[in-house]
Amino acid sequence: MITVYGQCAAAFVFGTTVGVLVQRSRWCNTAALRDAMLFKSYRNTKALLVAMMILTVGFTGMISIGNGNPMRFDVGINQFIGLFLFGIGMVFAGACTVSSWVKTGEGNIGALWALLFLIVGLFLSSLVWSFSYWPLAGPTMTGHANAAGLQFGWADALTLQRDTGVPAIVFGVIQTGALYALYRRILRRERATLAAEAQERPMSSERAARPAAGLADAVVNPASSARDALSTLGD
Amino acid sequence: MDFFKKSLDPIVALAIIAVLDIFLFLIVGAWTVGGGETMIAGLFVKSLVGAKEMNRIPFWHLVFKPTWAYWKIYISLGMGFGALVSALLSKEFYWRVPKHLSEWVMITIGGLLMGIGIRLSFVCNVSTFLGLTPEMNLGGYLAVSGLVIGAWVGTFVYKKILEA
Repeated sequence: MITVYGQCAAAFVFGTTVGVLVQRSRWCNTAALRDAMLFKSYRNTKALLVAMMILTVGFTGMISIGNGNPMRFDVGINQFIGLFLFGIGMVFAGACTVSSWVKTGEGNIGALWALLFLIVGLFLSSLVWSFSYWPLAGPTMTGHANAAGLQFGWADALTLQRDTGVPAIVFGVIQTGALYALYRRILRRERATLAAEAQERPMSSERAARPAAGLADAVVNPASSARDALSTLGD
Repeated sequence: MDFFKKSLDPIVALAIIAVLDIFLFLIVGAWTVGGGETMIAGLFVKSLVGAKEMNRIPFWHLVFKPTWAYWKIYISLGMGFGALVSALLSKEFYWRVPKHLSEWVMITIGGLLMGIGIRLSFVCNVSTFLGLTPEMNLGGYLAVSGLVIGAWVGTFVYKKILEA
C-alpha cells in the first residue's frame, strides 16, 4: 500500500513527464476537437484516439485481473451539461486544462489567466453547490439510480464484469475496435483530402503567379483567416 | 540534447502518456485534472479566510476538505513544471501576452465556463477521454457527448466572432 506522500510523489513525476511530452508534441485536447471541426485537421484527434485505445485495453485488462483503481462514479445528466459548458469554455479560452498548464509553463500569460478564472469558476460553483447540494458529489453517490438527483447509478467495466460474469477485457476489446474504426475513418478522410489537394496543385501554382489572388482568398475563405487568428493563441 | 531540439509526434507522446497512466491507475487512479485545481482554490481561499470560515461552506467540509496531501494537485503542478523545464531546455520559453481586449474577454469567459463545467460534472476533459471512457463508465459517454457538442457550439460562435 502506497503512502499519501508516495501518491503525491508519483503524481508529480507523472505530471512532470506529461508536461514535457505535451510541450514537445504541442498536443492539445481543444485542438483535437476544434481543428477537426473547423479545419478538418486531425493531428491531435488521432493522438487522442490512440491514447484512448491503449487506455481502454490497459484499464479493462487490469480490472479483469482485479487490479487498478477505477473511479467509483455515478452516471448523471450533470456530466452532459457540465462538459457541454466546458467544451464551449475550452474553445473560447483556446486551451483545455492540460494545455493551460503547459502553455503557462511556456510563459503564456493568456493561459495563466484562463487557469486563474477556471479556479474562480470552480470556487463560485462550490458556493452554488453548497446551496443546492446538486449534483451528487463523490462522497454522496450511492451507486444506485436516483431520479430526484438525475443520477442513473454506477455503470462501468467493473459492474459489467460483475453483472455478466464476462471479463472486462472482452468489453474493452470491443470498445477499442470501435475507436480503431473511427481512427481508420479519419485516416481515409485525410488520404482523400491529400488526393484532392494534389489534384488542385496545378491550380495553386497558377494562383501563385497572381499575388493579388492570395488576398482575395482570405476574403472569400474566412477559415484560413480564422486559422491564422487562432494560431496566435499558441496552439 | 536532441530530444529538446525537435518536436515530438503527438501520437508517440500520447501513447507514452497512456502507458504511464496505466501504472498510475494501478498505484492511485487514472489521470485527471480539475480535482487538483479545486483543491488549490480551496487552499487559497482557506489561507485568506481561515479554516473556521471555510468550514461554514458545506462543499468544503462535505466534498473537498482542503489539504495539501491530495495527489491530484501534484499532477497539475507537475505539468506546469515539466512544461517550464522543457520550454527552457528547448529555448521555447518566452512571454506571450494576448494583444487584444477581445482575447482577454474570451479567455476570461472560457476559463469561468471550464471551472463551472468541471464542478457541475465532477470531471474534466482529461478524465472524460482518458479516464471514465476507457474505464467504460457510462458517465464518460455522456460527458464525451456533452464535450463534443459544447466544442462544436463554441467553435461555431468563435468562428462567427472571427468572421465579424
